[in-house]
Amino acid sequence: MPTASALTQLLKAVEPLAPDMSIADVADRLLTPQHKAFLSLPIVDSAGKPLGLVSRTALQDIFMQRFGRDLRGRHPVTEIMNAQPLVVSLATSLEEAARQITGQLQYPITEDFVLVDQAGHYQGLGTVLDLLKAMESRIAQRNTVLRKALHDLKESQAQLIQSEKMASLGQMVAGVAHELNTPLGYVKNNVQLMNELGAALFELTDAQARLADCMANPDTTEEQLADAFALAAQAREAAAPELLSADMQQLFADTMYGLEQIAELVVGLKDFARLDRAMSEEVDINDCIRSALLIARNNTKDKAEISLHLGQLPLIACAPSQINQVLLNLLNNAVHAIEGFGQVVIKSWADEDAVFISLQDSGKGMEAHVVARIFDPFFTTKPVGQGTGLGLSICFKIVQDHGGLIRVASEPGRGTRFLIRLPRPQAAQLQRSA
Amino acid sequence: MSHLPRIMFVDDEERILRSLAVQFRRQYEVLTESDPHRALQRLEDQPVHILISDQRMPHMSGAELLAQARELAPNTLRILLTGYSDLDAAVDALNNGGIFRYLTKPWDPQEMAFTLRQAAEIALRQPAASTPVELASISAMSARLNVLLLDNDAETLALVDAFCQQGGHRLLRVRNIAEAMHILNSEPVELLVSDLKLAGDDTAPLLKTLAQAHPRLLSIVVTPFCDTQALLKLINEAQIFRYLPKPIRRGMFEKGLGAAVEQAIIWRAEPETAVMRLAQVPTNEPERERVGSLFGMLGRLRERLSA
Repeated sequence: MPTASALTQLLKAVEPLAPDMSIADVADRLLTPQHKAFLSLPIVDSAGKPLGLVSRTALQDIFMQRFGRDLRGRHPVTEIMNAQPLVVSLATSLEEAARQITGQLQYPITEDFVLVDQAGHYQGLGTVLDLLKAMESRIAQRNTVLRKALHDLKESQAQLIQSEKMASLGQMVAGVAHELNTPLGYVKNNVQLMNELGAALFELTDAQARLADCMANPDTTEEQLADAFALAAQAREAAAPELLSADMQQLFADTMYGLEQIAELVVGLKDFARLDRAMSEEVDINDCIRSALLIARNNTKDKAEISLHLGQLPLIACAPSQINQVLLNLLNNAVHAIEGFGQVVIKSWADEDAVFISLQDSGKGMEAHVVARIFDPFFTTKPVGQGTGLGLSICFKIVQDHGGLIRVASEPGRGTRFLIRLPRPQAAQLQRSA
Repeated sequence: MSHLPRIMFVDDEERILRSLAVQFRRQYEVLTESDPHRALQRLEDQPVHILISDQRMPHMSGAELLAQARELAPNTLRILLTGYSDLDAAVDALNNGGIFRYLTKPWDPQEMAFTLRQAAEIALRQPAASTPVELASISAMSARLNVLLLDNDAETLALVDAFCQQGGHRLLRVRNIAEAMHILNSEPVELLVSDLKLAGDDTAPLLKTLAQAHPRLLSIVVTPFCDTQALLKLINEAQIFRYLPKPIRRGMFEKGLGAAVEQAIIWRAEPETAVMRLAQVPTNEPERERVGSLFGMLGRLRERLSA
């Protein structure tokens, strides 16, 4: 047992004094070099039980009196011993021993402590100084372990935040990729259709050109002309240009629209990430809201109607990609909380000191004990394996890093509202100069 | 009235509807609807041969629409057309919507045309007015089925065994694909319960072969794997009847088995042409070859079944 051996290492074998030994003999014993390190000597009875400790100070008190040695030198040592010495079992742990000893120790330190075995038999002496040294090295050891644990923890936390980031990034990319499939679907089909329909038109122009050639050529026979007419009429029927024109226009318009949608999504993705612009620029938070909405659309469109009430906002300094991450996270949480089809209301406004964003859903809401823990890292209401429980704690940290606040209010059955407050730059400067 | 097969497309994106309408209006009578609720109303009013729906729409998902359409018009072939690879939606559309195909956006125009042609052929074979087979008359017939189990999992075995004993069905067990082939060549099998892995082998090629060789055989897949792409292929190329995730949820499993037995009995009473199934040939080349060779080995099975 390591704790038992800890005290054993402090154990110093000291030959105990018999109870009937005289004070003068004890004084002589204390002066011998092998007892130099001790403040006191133990007195042990014939059964091996410690009776007390006699300290140097107790002896000094006698010898400093006039005729002290002559008067009391022959008295037994039990007369001046401390009959309630510190007795510690060897089986005690280092910490427990330290607690007992420091609890009973008196100033100035005049005695050592007696070490006994489990049956209470005397084994040796321990000094307070040795005990303190042992404690110090133990604490230093613990500190090293703790420092390593802290380092490991920080590393794994950074890894978790990174993997949460990757997971939400992956989700976002997959969402946008899927979102692209709808316009891609009809654009691709339309181009193919226009190609087919166009081919019929080219055949028609071809047939008509041949007919024109026939008519222009004086050598053309009646028969050839009739053939050319028939072919042109046939091509015309196949192409049906009067029907085609409206169709083609519609297909072209739809295709253009689809390509714009695709472009918008790609620009949105770029704006959302904003990797080219990190921190501290003049940002309109309304742009962040729109950007997050575009990216989240694949998750929101079949879950909720989104109403926007965006006020005029002053530009503020922030990291837009981080604010986007917060907004996307809140939006996705909002639609997850909705069973069936619901509503999400997003508002923004500003006062003299700050910009505010409110995001309210008509979802299932949360109980008070859930609300209380919602920003805690690793807290999640989702089943194991779905969600790290880091999303909102990261949101909290991002808003905090911006000098802002994030608040939540929720009621089961009615929904949840998040409010974010981001300070305006002049307000932040004032705070800094104050 | 037009003699063309009638198709209804449902999508909340009008441009998809317009594009598909232009593509198919020559060969089909095309109806389009951007609102699933209105689509259901129209389906009640006029028979439709093929219903093709988007998955993600406000107020109602495609899977839900197809499940409701199945109740309203069981003889309409149902197809899901989606831009999202969403496993839950696919499972839902298969298990509750009984879909014929799972198609993805963007689609290949030729492939889509081919699929619709196949679907229309099957749909046109159906009797004009659907007369649901009376279950009472079925119970008079022998309801004893042969159930083949391709799963070494003790839990699946216990559940299937209990189900067979209760319903008086015969449970056939095999340890590997070779034994399965042997059984399939010597016994008629109506119902198949299979994991996607059996003794280390992939069972998907066998399921795909059986879908071609024996359209009436119903397969229920139970698997711990969740791969949307694999499921999509099982729907289109193996025409599986149910896809149930492991660990098995007992209620769902028993419901699936019950529905399969009911379907098998109904199909037994009807001519082969009434069976609304047709598997797509696997698109993957090595798999197509594997299916081809298994198909050859199942020759005798086919002969007996068509006899």
